[in-house]
Amino acid sequence: MKMMKIKYFFIAIASVSLGSCTKDFVDLTPKGAFLSDNYYANQEQATAALVGVYDPIRKNTGGFENTIAMMNAGSDDHVAGGGGATDGAGIQGFSNHTLTSTNIPGSFWNDYYQGIFRANTLLVKLPGVEMTEDLKERFTAEARALRAIYYFDLVRMFKNVPLLLDPLTATNMYDVEQATPEAVYAQIENDLLAAIPALPGDVPAATESGRITKGAAQAVLGKVYLFEGKKPEAAAILAEVNGTPGATNKYGNKLLANYSDLWVVANKFNSESLLEVSHTSAGNSDWWFWGSGADEGNTLNVMVGPRSYSRPTGSTAPDLPSGWSFNCITQDLYDAIKADPRFGATVFDLKALKAAGEADYIGGYQDTGYFLNKYLPRKSDVRTGGGAAELNYKQNSYIIRLADTYLMEAEALGSGARAQALLDAVRARVGLLPVPVTLAAIKNERRMELAGEGLRFFDLVRWGDAGAKLGSRGFIVGTSEIFPIPSRELQGTKLKQNPGYN
Amino acid sequence: MKFTKLFVFCFLSILFSVYAHAQDVNVSGKVYDENGLPIPGVSILVKGTTKATASDFNGNYAIKAPAKGTLVFSFIGYSTVQESINGRNRIDLKLIAESLSLQEVVVVGYGTQKKSVVTGAISSIRSKDLEKIPAGRIEQALQGRVSGVTIAASSGQPGATSTIRVRGVTTFGDSGNNPLWVVDGVVVDAGGIGFLNQSDIESIEVLKDAASAAIYGTRAATGVILVTTKKGKAGKLTVNYNGFSGFSSPAKTLHLLNATQYGALLNEKSVAAGGSPIFSNVSALGVGTDWQKAIFNTSAYRYSHELSISGGSENSTFYTSLGLQDQEGIVSTEISNYNKKNFRLNSTHKLSKIFTFGQTLGFSRQKSVGIGNTNSEFGGPLSSAINLDPTTPIVEMDPIKANAAPYSVNLVIRDANGNPYGISSIVGQEMTNPLAYAKTRLGNFDWSDDVVGNAYLEAAITSHLKVRSTFGGKLAYWGDQAFTPVNYLSATSNVLKNSYGKNENKSFAWNIENILTYSNKFGNHNLTVLLGQGAYVDNIGGGSGNTLFGLPISDYRDASFNFDIAQSERSSATYDLVEHKLTSLFARVNYDYNEKYLFTGIIRRDGSSRFGANNKFGVFPSFNLGWVVTKEDFWKENNVLNLLKIRGGYGIVGNDAIPDFRYLSLVAGGNNYSFGNEGEITTGYANQTLDNPDLKWEETSQTNVGFESRFFNDFNLTVDLFKKTTTGILRPINIPGYVGVTTNPAGNVADMDNKGIELELGYKKRFGKVNFSINGNVAYLENEVTYVATDSKFITGDASFQSMGAVTRTQVGQSYNSFYGFKTNGIFQNEEEVTAYANSAGVVIQPNARPGDFKWVDTDGDGSITDADKQFLGSNIPKYTYGLTLNLDYKGFDFMAFAQGAAGSKIFQGLRRLDVGNANYQTEALGRWVGEGTSNDYPRLTNNDTNGNFGKMSDFYLENGDYLRLKLVQLGYSLPIDAASKIGASKIRLYLTGENLLTLTKYTGYDPEIGGGVFGIDKGVYPQARTVMFGANLQF
Repeated sequence: MKMMKIKYFFIAIASVSLGSCTKDFVDLTPKGAFLSDNYYANQEQATAALVGVYDPIRKNTGGFENTIAMMNAGSDDHVAGGGGATDGAGIQGFSNHTLTSTNIPGSFWNDYYQGIFRANTLLVKLPGVEMTEDLKERFTAEARALRAIYYFDLVRMFKNVPLLLDPLTATNMYDVEQATPEAVYAQIENDLLAAIPALPGDVPAATESGRITKGAAQAVLGKVYLFEGKKPEAAAILAEVNGTPGATNKYGNKLLANYSDLWVVANKFNSESLLEVSHTSAGNSDWWFWGSGADEGNTLNVMVGPRSYSRPTGSTAPDLPSGWSFNCITQDLYDAIKADPRFGATVFDLKALKAAGEADYIGGYQDTGYFLNKYLPRKSDVRTGGGAAELNYKQNSYIIRLADTYLMEAEALGSGARAQALLDAVRARVGLLPVPVTLAAIKNERRMELAGEGLRFFDLVRWGDAGAKLGSRGFIVGTSEIFPIPSRELQGTKLKQNPGYN
Repeated sequence: MKFTKLFVFCFLSILFSVYAHAQDVNVSGKVYDENGLPIPGVSILVKGTTKATASDFNGNYAIKAPAKGTLVFSFIGYSTVQESINGRNRIDLKLIAESLSLQEVVVVGYGTQKKSVVTGAISSIRSKDLEKIPAGRIEQALQGRVSGVTIAASSGQPGATSTIRVRGVTTFGDSGNNPLWVVDGVVVDAGGIGFLNQSDIESIEVLKDAASAAIYGTRAATGVILVTTKKGKAGKLTVNYNGFSGFSSPAKTLHLLNATQYGALLNEKSVAAGGSPIFSNVSALGVGTDWQKAIFNTSAYRYSHELSISGGSENSTFYTSLGLQDQEGIVSTEISNYNKKNFRLNSTHKLSKIFTFGQTLGFSRQKSVGIGNTNSEFGGPLSSAINLDPTTPIVEMDPIKANAAPYSVNLVIRDANGNPYGISSIVGQEMTNPLAYAKTRLGNFDWSDDVVGNAYLEAAITSHLKVRSTFGGKLAYWGDQAFTPVNYLSATSNVLKNSYGKNENKSFAWNIENILTYSNKFGNHNLTVLLGQGAYVDNIGGGSGNTLFGLPISDYRDASFNFDIAQSERSSATYDLVEHKLTSLFARVNYDYNEKYLFTGIIRRDGSSRFGANNKFGVFPSFNLGWVVTKEDFWKENNVLNLLKIRGGYGIVGNDAIPDFRYLSLVAGGNNYSFGNEGEITTGYANQTLDNPDLKWEETSQTNVGFESRFFNDFNLTVDLFKKTTTGILRPINIPGYVGVTTNPAGNVADMDNKGIELELGYKKRFGKVNFSINGNVAYLENEVTYVATDSKFITGDASFQSMGAVTRTQVGQSYNSFYGFKTNGIFQNEEEVTAYANSAGVVIQPNARPGDFKWVDTDGDGSITDADKQFLGSNIPKYTYGLTLNLDYKGFDFMAFAQGAAGSKIFQGLRRLDVGNANYQTEALGRWVGEGTSNDYPRLTNNDTNGNFGKMSDFYLENGDYLRLKLVQLGYSLPIDAASKIGASKIRLYLTGENLLTLTKYTGYDPEIGGGVFGIDKGVYPQARTVMFGANLQF
């Protein structure tokens, strides 16, 4: 009996042992992910891949290194702020225009190229996907429009960037060179022009809002033309979007009656919104994947909140969660906007509240006491479920809204009745009387209307005003208009650093 | 002549026998070992006769011998003793194990070898060395005991792991550098060795050289640590108890500013930046709160009980044990403690003449309550205690303040009397009142259950040929549980809805090994050949976590997952582990000629699931040679050099400790976006990286040369020199961002050398009734990166600090993860010095600096301070590690002292939170620059530090990490055998132990021993405790 058992023991061991000798034993197939060769087979997978192309657009207000916080910091309307002079080397460096190839956050380069890589991959794969031709056309249009949006940010931020329209491989990745900005702009136009006809004019709000529409692509194209100095083309395409000033356009867009409603968290994808970045708390965002593809929260909210905010009993000050005191508003903007009806929606005047004993806080770095009310974190928006509360704010952010396209068209036109009507419509909405349309009036209106939305720095550069407005902040004309290329991109590659940087 | 000798011999024999016959006495007694355990089978010979007997299972013997004769006691592995009878009837005798004996056996992996013929660099620790170390984690017991093994605790939290590096840092990264632990033949990962109970360990062997470790092939590059647990011995049932209890206290506290000093400095900082003073009357602030005193426990209780029973018959032996350990931490004790229970059963059974069956099985249950953040700048009790202002009270007793904001309007934490814990209005962010914080973490703990064991069947087919099949496995369950109540610790740290969550994980690993051993002796030729085959699978399993929000309770004791919580208030996560498989064939030849000329050769072929199609299999060869010079005929026996063995070898081993499937480009989820206005998420898929089918083994080749010697009879010296070269270090390749992938592909990107010398010296002597021994070891190590793939000249380091970013860098010609930053060159004393500080072209280098600011070294001479001026500032890897053990015993008393330390490294002292301007300072800040000539090494304080005095990574943050620590002192007393036997015990020993009594160091933080992925990064490491314990050791 005992010997029998021993025999079985050996047989069992021998069979396991022999099975383990073959190569198959150590040849495993990954689970929970797909091999690149087998993916992009059907509509479901193509949709998931398209979502991957959208993912980086969240950079506008997602993650610590988000576009609005960064671009605000470099303008004359805001300081970098934060906890100290080294809190966010990139944002601090841009604020005092001392960016270098090592302190420029690489993500402002990488994240957009991730979107471009995914768009390129999807565009290569789409012809082979099993799905209707109509849907393929729409997917193609969305991928091209997103690629254009990503290149538009890259070319404005870095100017001299590689223009990649096919996914790279391990063998050719070091052969890449930078394209001229003209070539990049030409491709952006090309992509948008090709996309516009195939994009829907409207999408179902509950399930698809946030996807690129015809109006969104036209608005982006108008902006692209404006930055290229192609004013007639800009005016023409923006007129398509704007329609009759003050009235509802053909896609159903209209200025909101109440300016402050633009910043109500629940007011997602409202009628004024043309291209909007979507945030949600459903991703349970947490520190360990903060800023990555699975992080869906709005980080700008917590960044601009005051530090250690508190109120005494019976205070009438708003009940706010605390933040990190980035992007404090400069005295310059404060003075300029103080008398404007948009002041209250734009500036949270904590300095006044503190002086009145209504609220208290700990001043951060470069504290001015004026906080960006448009994106201030709200108590009602604090996540109480999974993830880190700080990272799960769900306020969406605008990339382009109708007031912006009104003012851009007015700027492209420069003068005339339509330009006047566009400017008047923006002012009338907040109860301001008309002023004669001039470039100076448009510039001022853009500053008041769009303060804190990350647009000011590019506006100053486009107008050639950056040197005058930002000289005291360390801005060097001829260099500081664009970012330095991140040092990693120069190592072992054929890329060249931007002029003025080393 | 011959005839005469024979005649004399016969005559004497007769004479003796007659004489003996006339005066014979009955002698009886007991033979026991150093632990008081009886030794069966000891041969007892009446000197000069052939008359002999042997001790029985209980160590007892009886023999008739001449009253004036001599008894010779001998047993394999023990020193032979000649004892004069002197007419006694009872002789109890202790036999001392021959630790330096040629008979000593060393575990070498898949077998044992006589120490005399071992050719590799193997360090051993025996159970008797481990017994005196208070039971903690096994890594702690190894620290300072073996040369060439650098061990540093990663935390003083009870039960915390240590970082272990065998012969330096072998590869890049953290986990890939952990040595391979093999417990009774079962491979267990380093994090999972907590289940081991120290007193169950028979021996630990560290295989340091490649030629010894090569038998473990692909996983041996970082060294192999073999643990063998105790087995029963045939004979009387032995019961052994060892227990102790004691109290721990912090060995050192920091010198922080008191409230008055703090207020003065804060005012100065504010005024320097153009602001107004913060406090109007600093002297009114008084001493303020000592936050360290509030969190440190000076009498944290600790105890341990271990009980083992062993014994058996000729055919079956067993060893079984039970252990219980409980330890309170010295920081915030209510949320820092550790408990471990374990059980072991090992047995061996001779089934027949041919077959032997054996098994080992260990089970342990650990529960650990931790303080949350340690060695982190983002909160936790230590960081808070260091950074919080001393002006905030621990508890707000002033009713006016306690009824005002923030206490009045928020869910603040209160003490037992209902008074709110103080909330700082000056220092914010993650720094919170550590006492209040502790109350919010009461329901948090980690747990783990481990079952590790193996079973083997061995067939001795002939006396030379053996076949053994072993099946081993480790089943691990671990998880954590957390209840977070609604609370308001500060404006930044508050929770509006309570949550209760748990994570549960399971992993299983198994291996099967079949080994054929042939061993024979042909004249003076000794040959052993081993052929083996193995299959290893680990990482089978997965885990899940669930969190409920908004439970209708407020106390953690009432928390339950049975509450009916809506689906929208639940979050969950589930994952699968990715299996890792290896298939192996291996062979070893041991040959020696008369134990004089020695040879060992090993070859192993491994296939790993972690590599691409083109490089799935790797072959790892090695050899060692040895020559025992003192065995040569020309070597005359002498009292100067008694033994000399010269040995050396070369081998190649591998390392596949990289993430799975790195050779494939996978399309994976997690690139999500939310469409629609309802906040729902759509999962996005994208290619994660680029393919790299050529991914191959990281190889480590090592040359080892050394010698073992004994001289002047009492000294032992072992010296090893090694050079270890790692080529093709596996690491994610940092590819250009424009490629657009989210995960960098793995590549073989760098090479690194470790060179070193190891020395172990021992001295043992008996002076009258005093036994004295001293053992020391010292190792020197040099680490140098020799190649980094051309596309990047360096690799950004793995350690970062707050907003400074990386504070280390890996570059050719430097040691791995060397500190990298600006070099200071004193402080500008006045404006003239600022303007005078110009480069060769006359450009003022720091035009914006103010007196009191650091003068940065303009390394590249370009006239401005940029990142290009950063330079290497030292290494965090200790160049020297050393240990010294002293043992003394006299009659019943024994004394042991053990010291250990490290030298030649730097520590980054980052205890202060940079972005919290109002954070407290250490008293060093009192010596800051306040005017010309006041300081040349501590800059001025200002809220507007534009020069980056504190914000830049510089040598200002680095300190000398040398230390020597009196780790253990023990004084014991054993009752005489007679006294012990009166209560039926064979041994009663009482002892007093002091742990960590003294540390000599210049380091200004809590503790210079700082482990972790990168050594020497101190952001508030939980310090090691000082403990005094009283214990007892009983044997029956």
